[in-house]
Amino acid sequence: MAWLSLFLVRRLLKAAGILFVIVLINFALIRAAPGDPATVMAGEAGAGDAEYVERLRERFGLNEPLHTQMFVYVTNVFQGDLGFSYRQNQPVMGLILERLPATLLLTVTAFVFALAMGILLGTLAAANVGRWSDTAITTLALISYATPLFWLGLMLILLFSVQLGWLPSFGYESTGRDYEGLARALDVGRHLVLPVLTLGLFYMAVYTRLARSSILEVHEMDFVKTARSKGVSERNVMVRHILRNALLPVITFAGFQAGHLIGGSILVETVFAWPGIGRLAFDALIQRDYQVLLGVFVVTSVLVLAFNIVTDLIYTLIDPRIEVS
Amino acid sequence: MNREFWSAFASNRGAVIGLVFLVLIIIVAASAHLIYPVSPWSMGNPPFQPPLAGGPFLGTDTLGRDVAAGVVHGARVSLLIGLVSSLAALLIGVTLGAVAGYFGGWVDDAIMRFTELFQTIPNFVLAVVLVAIFTPSIGSLVAAIAIVSWPPLARLTRGEFLSLRSREFVLAAVTTGQSTPHIILREILPNSLSPIIVAASLTVATAILLESALSFLGLGDPNVMSWGYQIGAARTVIRQAWWMSFFPGIAILITVLAINLVGEGLNDALNPKLARKGRG
Amino acid sequence: MAAPVVELSGLSVALPAGAERPLAVEDVSFTVEAGEILCVVGESGSGKSMIAHAIMGLLPAPHVRVSGGQARLQGEDLLAMSPRRQRAVRGTGMGMIFQEPMTSLNPLMRVGDQIDETLRLHTPLSPRERVERVIELLDDVGLPNPRELRRSYPFSLSGGQRQRVMIAIALAVEPALLIADEPTTALDVTTQKQILDLIAAMQKRSGMGVIFITHDFGVVAEIADSVAVMQDGRCVEYGSAEQVLNKPRHAYTRELIRAVPHDIIYRPDFDPGAEPGILQAEGVRKVFHVGGGMFRKGRELVAADDVSLDIHRGETVGVVGESGSGKSTLGRCIVGLHRADGGQILFRDHDLARLSRRQFRPIRRHVQMVFQDPYASLNPRYRVADIIAQGPVAFGTPRAEARARAEELLELVGLDASAARRYPHQFSGGQRQRISIARALALDPDLLIADEPVSALDVSVQTQVLRLLDEIRRRLGLAMLFITHDLRVAAQVCDRIAVMKEGRIVELGTCREVFGAPKHEYTRTLLDAIPGKDWEIRPETWDDPDPDTPAR
Repeated sequence: MAWLSLFLVRRLLKAAGILFVIVLINFALIRAAPGDPATVMAGEAGAGDAEYVERLRERFGLNEPLHTQMFVYVTNVFQGDLGFSYRQNQPVMGLILERLPATLLLTVTAFVFALAMGILLGTLAAANVGRWSDTAITTLALISYATPLFWLGLMLILLFSVQLGWLPSFGYESTGRDYEGLARALDVGRHLVLPVLTLGLFYMAVYTRLARSSILEVHEMDFVKTARSKGVSERNVMVRHILRNALLPVITFAGFQAGHLIGGSILVETVFAWPGIGRLAFDALIQRDYQVLLGVFVVTSVLVLAFNIVTDLIYTLIDPRIEVS
Repeated sequence: MNREFWSAFASNRGAVIGLVFLVLIIIVAASAHLIYPVSPWSMGNPPFQPPLAGGPFLGTDTLGRDVAAGVVHGARVSLLIGLVSSLAALLIGVTLGAVAGYFGGWVDDAIMRFTELFQTIPNFVLAVVLVAIFTPSIGSLVAAIAIVSWPPLARLTRGEFLSLRSREFVLAAVTTGQSTPHIILREILPNSLSPIIVAASLTVATAILLESALSFLGLGDPNVMSWGYQIGAARTVIRQAWWMSFFPGIAILITVLAINLVGEGLNDALNPKLARKGRG
Repeated sequence: MAAPVVELSGLSVALPAGAERPLAVEDVSFTVEAGEILCVVGESGSGKSMIAHAIMGLLPAPHVRVSGGQARLQGEDLLAMSPRRQRAVRGTGMGMIFQEPMTSLNPLMRVGDQIDETLRLHTPLSPRERVERVIELLDDVGLPNPRELRRSYPFSLSGGQRQRVMIAIALAVEPALLIADEPTTALDVTTQKQILDLIAAMQKRSGMGVIFITHDFGVVAEIADSVAVMQDGRCVEYGSAEQVLNKPRHAYTRELIRAVPHDIIYRPDFDPGAEPGILQAEGVRKVFHVGGGMFRKGRELVAADDVSLDIHRGETVGVVGESGSGKSTLGRCIVGLHRADGGQILFRDHDLARLSRRQFRPIRRHVQMVFQDPYASLNPRYRVADIIAQGPVAFGTPRAEARARAEELLELVGLDASAARRYPHQFSGGQRQRISIARALALDPDLLIADEPVSALDVSVQTQVLRLLDEIRRRLGLAMLFITHDLRVAAQVCDRIAVMKEGRIVELGTCREVFGAPKHEYTRTLLDAIPGKDWEIRPETWDDPDPDTPAR
């Protein structure tokens, strides 16, 4: 397993490198914004507060030369200091960490839902290619792929909360009822359904299309003919030979895309008032609280990097061809 | 060749339907000022009027603006931003991808690292941050969408160039003394264009979705009416007035769907033909 | 008497509407007895593969289907059986191996498991017995360390090894029939020889019937007991190997056999005179760096090492070797597609190994290249005239003049001048190769590098293109470097032959020396591996006229 630790070390170093550049971009964004960086950082909210602006100036050494400022900023970020939100009167890191679990719950559930459904539907469509079930699934995927997330969320609320009254339309759990244990989990689960559907449907469409075309492609390959010539039943040809080869790239692609679900969560959390970092970002946007916004930017990037490393690792463990390199 | 293209395209029924819708949407967008000469911002009607209730056709919004007028004028912004930002992304992506794929070596390494960086950053978050910091305007929207949309195009172009540059007709161009710009622009690029065109058409669809999402969050250009803005403004009154967000959403859905269908048709029409041509 | 292993009567296979012809296979009948090897021969598109797929029940349904006739395996009707019975028969009654060993094995499954799958499906063996059987099979097909090898994945095996694994899979339950669909076409000659020997040995041992599909009459001569010759879906000649090879009756069979390179007529030894070689390569070395990136060091692959040879005006030097021998690398170093890492390549007072890409450009017009794949070597988007004229135009010839010259060149290579206005996809493989030659000649080069110029062509076309190349060399007094994997082809056009192995020239001599008295062990191995080398083709002894051939 020496290669594994070597692999991890290499991957972590690379991630650190990418993160470093992202932090630099962050710094550049603050500087590139029109107007005085201190005012930008304070946001419109704090613009009138001369004392706060001066404090920022000092903290970030805005009177120092540029490279010193950059150094200070980068060191701060790598030490977990993402700045201070004047609006919320709290360190940005604390704000984000507090909201992170809700976002992770939402995105991970949505990802698992999207991937599982995508593979299932894609396989069904490919197995029945040309028949009505294939047409139905591809049409569903095509429409889901063209539907804006936020609008879908609103329509689901309209249908399931307003019209049918089946599911709650906003929040993380019911307020004013102190559920405990399983009851609480169920309550959160009920709140989770619509946001997960909203966030997951688009990606489900992506994975369905991908799984379908990948299976159809592998279907034509020589080794499938070999399996048939051995007298393997059609079902086992599909399961043992086609699916394993076809789904490996789908899962890898999905893993590398998982991070993008976090971007979508800004929209979903806004629609469903889900108390995660997406909602935090939206509020920061409304209040022009750039410190928080940029903090969310850094943290989501870190999450994507983490997702990518895990995906890489899984891929390396599944695909025998990687082992040698 | 053209007839062949059209017959392949037309054999995909969805693509033809998509094309018809797309042409209709373009006509509506182009003649928005004729259909609704009054500004879509004008609050000339009573607010909260449902559709087909005697007032404007699709009802009015919270401030008494005509929803239908907003949808028609919004088409302009969506198509404009979708198209321009995709062209910009195409320019960046194809240039970087072509250079990386053709020259290989450290140039390729460096460009691919750069691309990877942009693929790591969650693209919607980056777009939000960019537009927020550079203040919302059509210019900043186009720039932000282009900046987050080019990496897949760069990868695709690089892949095409990488495989084409060792094809024998390209080697033959080298041995007959063609200049490097000639080889890139006249030998390789025309032969890699089909998949790039298909990918670009899908980029337009994604760009329209991105634009609507940004406008929904209040990051649209405050001077132009857009579909995302309409939905964002009506978000809080969804329980009382479904129509305010329903119709602009349908407009987005149909436009994006139409472009995707056309993209698939292009794929059917362009890619197998290339294979046939290559193989004789 | 037992029923024959396979009996085909009047088999027809229909293609979907809009295909080139309505029937892929038309009214084909033959039988294969136990212990018999039947070779089905034909050029590409003759329908020979379709027969194999029809017997195996592997036709791409529903588009392609059997439309008539019968196929029986040991008396049992293959076409009327239930899908379940068909699967059982596929595993136990017949096995099949395919052309592409690199893609015929499941990349995510261990080699042993892929053999085991057949055993598990069709035998009552216990898991432990199956492991032993897998090891035994791997050993039988001549793979080293079967105990470890069964646990490895296909990617770590060479093409020849993978084909051995395929044979092990096909023979796992000792079927009565083995179908081999061009199993050696993708392999090097020496590997081909080993696989042919292996198939023959396994067949002798188990007494099974074999249907061997090939396009190569040399291979037929090597292993066939009987032969069926296919043309455009019809079987035009069917008989014993002895009869078909030595007394062919049908005109098409005769045409194919005549096209087989045979009877090397050594040309008079080339006399360079006192003139030094137009190209003198000395100790050329080229190393490729594989894998690796910005921070990682990749592997080094020495493609050419200490290669020295010279070519004189009017002389053709052949470079012969198997894949990976470095023969193409050498050619590409000379035309400046690669830059040599060491040694020198003297040409027209320049050392080509020292020139940068920019410095090389003025010299390009004097060294031109003809490529291997006629389908990939012409830009599909340009007219033939522009393709041929592109070189002269790049060197400053006015476009109109270059186009006019292109038409002359087309006539020189045996095409009509009107071809200039058409696009490459309107031509056949052989014609495209002629266009490719015309393009190379457009710059009036002194030296022509021909990199496997005929290996992608059907045999009947090969001869024509070879003749053209030889005639052009003579008429224009060119020097030519002829790169090929096929010694028989090299013998037809070369004055001297260099045999390459693993980046080095192991033997360099005149055709007479290399064929008549090979000095190096490897040259002898190569010569020995030529399929059908003991078969003497004597068209003068054939009956005349062709009794079987209807007027066509």
